[in-house]
Amino acid sequence: MPRLINIVGELQGFTVLIRDIFVNIGSIKDNWQETIQEMYLIGSKAFLIIFLGGLFTGVILAIETGHQLKLFGATSLISRTMSLGMVRELGPIITGLLLAARTGAKNTSELGAMQLSDQIDALKAFGANPIQKLVIPRTVAALLIFLPLTLIADITGILGGMLVANQTFHVDFSSFWKTAIGALKMKDLFVGFLKPFFFAFFISTISCYLGLTTKGGTSGLGKNTINAVVLTSVIVLIIDFIFTKIVWEVL
Amino acid sequence: MISFKNITLLLSDKIILDNVSLNIERNITSVIVGPSGAGKSSILKIILALWKPDYGEVLFDGININKLTEEELTRIRKNIGIVFQNNALFDSLTVAENILYFLPDKKKLSDIELKYKVEELLSFVNLEGTENFFPEELSGGMKKRVAIARALAIDPKVILFDEPTTGLDPINAESILHLISKLKKSGTTSILVTHILNDAITIGDKLIVINNGRIVESGTVDEILQSSNNFVQKFFYQINRGNYLLDSYTNQYGLVNVK
Repeated sequence: MPRLINIVGELQGFTVLIRDIFVNIGSIKDNWQETIQEMYLIGSKAFLIIFLGGLFTGVILAIETGHQLKLFGATSLISRTMSLGMVRELGPIITGLLLAARTGAKNTSELGAMQLSDQIDALKAFGANPIQKLVIPRTVAALLIFLPLTLIADITGILGGMLVANQTFHVDFSSFWKTAIGALKMKDLFVGFLKPFFFAFFISTISCYLGLTTKGGTSGLGKNTINAVVLTSVIVLIIDFIFTKIVWEVL
Repeated sequence: MISFKNITLLLSDKIILDNVSLNIERNITSVIVGPSGAGKSSILKIILALWKPDYGEVLFDGININKLTEEELTRIRKNIGIVFQNNALFDSLTVAENILYFLPDKKKLSDIELKYKVEELLSFVNLEGTENFFPEELSGGMKKRVAIARALAIDPKVILFDEPTTGLDPINAESILHLISKLKKSGTTSILVTHILNDAITIGDKLIVINNGRIVESGTVDEILQSSNNFVQKFFYQINRGNYLLDSYTNQYGLVNVK
């Protein structure tokens, strides 16, 4: 029972944070500098891992599907599998999971350390709003930068697959590219490009919430950072499942 | 200026402050003194409305701050500067950026005016030339002085000090007390929380003695030292005991007593 009360309390606190974000969203115009700095920290610093994550996912997907399709003499379908798989599912989810770990841990550890060293209280004490100064710039930065990073994962994945298809299964580059692009419908692009916004919002807000509510010294900070990575990763998987379900059964 | 009326604060069902009433007057240095865990820092957090009391009223210039919205509180807080016990400087910002962080209307000032403001404040706290240092590059005493400069940057009506000399060596502690004295001479209203009796007696115009969440005595230094209250006598006896030990030590070894 106390655990249930605790969970309800945390959900209530998180809901209040979401409300405060929407109420104070107008303050973003005064905090563009912080937002751009966060975009740089999320974007440029995560570029390499997203690039490699997308590339190797594409390469592995091409190898696995290529060998199966070769049995039926249908290696030309590798391109179709690659583009649909990467744009609709694997690109967003690889980006989501990598950023859940990277951005989630960064937000929670930074804000948690600030909480433990009274820096959050200092902001409030001097009349600044921590939601405006810390949470909104991080959330907006994530919302703006997650889609470009997802596109990088999509493109590198497809290019990796194209390389494998060409070298291993002798599929021509131009026919691969034409089929890959031609296979993508508006619905696929819509789903693939919408997911990153949901991932960004929940990764950012959950990790900021856990940072702001850190207590219990360094062990509490460690615990909350782990919780942030686990929780945001699970949320990414759940959101992805919901979208996939909607795409196949509703749209 | 600031009044507590029958304030009770509970944290996890534990009584932190028990029916506390006090008055902080303008233009003097009030020192809240008591042992660790007595509830001293809680008083500062309540003044800043970071914590809301369970019972009672807190008045700032006659306004009950517990009934204000967050926006109204923000306006009140802009009149209050605070120096936290662990300084709470922003690690990722330089000394100059820390000092200017809360400066009101800084967008209206030119770079030269901002630079001059930083130099002026750093000169006041005797830290000239440290503008581009990061907090991690400073000693404990220097960090404390930057925190004081940051608090002064907003030109506050009242400045709060939470254990300003705790953890500092005697020379740095002395320089911080000297800074607080400078502020006192300029007529700034200060509230200082400490468990160090010498600090309280050196700097305070008014002492408020607190123990177990209750105010046990308040008055001028002379009034407190002459108090017949058992706790006050026992607590302040430490000073006499400390001086007695120092005298004995210097006499025994033929040293010069630096008191």
